[in-house]
Amino acid sequence: MRQRDTIEAFGLSANLPTGWDGAIFRREVDLESTAAEGVENPTLHLANFALPPNRGDFGSGAVEVMGRRGVLVCLVEYGDDSVGTALFDHRRPAELKADDFATHTLQRPQAGQGGQQQFFTENDRAFCLYTVIGSHRMRNVLTPVANEALAGIVIS
Amino acid sequence: MTVLVVLLAVVVGLLTLLVVSLLRSHAEILRALHELGLNDVLDPDADERDGVRSDADIRTRPGVATPRSSDVRAASDLLGNTPDGGSLRVAVSGVDHSTLVAFLSTGCLTCANFWEAFADPDRRELPGADTRLVIVTKGLENESPARLEELAPRGVTLVASSSAWDDYEVPVAPYFLLVDGPEGAILGEGAAASWDQVQDLLGQAMADAGLDTKGGSSRRSRARGAQRVERADEELERAGILPGDPSLYPGGEPPEARP
Repeated sequence: MRQRDTIEAFGLSANLPTGWDGAIFRREVDLESTAAEGVENPTLHLANFALPPNRGDFGSGAVEVMGRRGVLVCLVEYGDDSVGTALFDHRRPAELKADDFATHTLQRPQAGQGGQQQFFTENDRAFCLYTVIGSHRMRNVLTPVANEALAGIVIS
Repeated sequence: MTVLVVLLAVVVGLLTLLVVSLLRSHAEILRALHELGLNDVLDPDADERDGVRSDADIRTRPGVATPRSSDVRAASDLLGNTPDGGSLRVAVSGVDHSTLVAFLSTGCLTCANFWEAFADPDRRELPGADTRLVIVTKGLENESPARLEELAPRGVTLVASSSAWDDYEVPVAPYFLLVDGPEGAILGEGAAASWDQVQDLLGQAMADAGLDTKGGSSRRSRARGAQRVERADEELERAGILPGDPSLYPGGEPPEARP
């Protein structure tokens, strides 16, 4: 049987390394709790462990179950109004460095984990790239693992 | 004396008739076995001698799936869509855990039992410490996304993928596959009418493969193996020994660092 490697939806695609889970999804906006209309912008999740089905955009629900060798990549798109703002006025990093990770940059702090986030604009779309590694002390080993997955992401 | 000779002739005649009818009956049985394709029964050494093996024409009862050919054993990752049109890949091969793949349809009556069972977290207990349940339906071109969203059990990964049905040659719904992640091999598969049946068959398949069915002690428990790696990492870190530390290598440096 052939292995299927690429997920693609909503102008995002990712070619996944062997053994990785991946998902590109978009949530329905709860019209009762927000003034926004329609659906949210897409989010991409990649993980070298089994992604639980119920997750927050920034990996809540997943970071709690990831092991010390786990890597979670979250690519979250922001609205058009974010394009061109100072926060997003950066290029997508070609690759991450071990020193980019810190224990205090986690959206949901978990003991021992490391995280990093970078905001950028690509093809007039604004994104936040948020990456979590299961062990901050093992960042030299886990950063190349994360970079292997990041290299397969295409934004069109 | 004449009476005795006549009597003997009659007995011999009857015995001859009996032998002839037995031979005829045997010939009919052989012909029937040939027609069924069961040549192995007729001549066990034929395969070895001739190097040829023919498939038997096996017929199953109505409603029971025909067994697939035995050469489809490697597992393929599941790639498809979420009910809302997103894209999803679930890795089942090259991972630490086992995966139970449940091929269901929104329309079939028997599948309703499983949709119901999977919606109840207390009922969807799986054999093995880390077995993952994934539901696979036909692609969104063949299923109603609204109905899928309605039926999709919270807490269970669902992939809509016609290609997965093709890859695994799924003959009928509901159909189940148990995939061994580290080996990337299918441990067992089949159709069942109830979740209890599936649980029994899964436990049996895992036990046959030497895998831990309860998450307890087992020589081949990979869950425990993964936990051991985690514990070893933790202990080494506490001792200040990180990946790449010279003390981890007999020569004092990692193999790739040596000239």
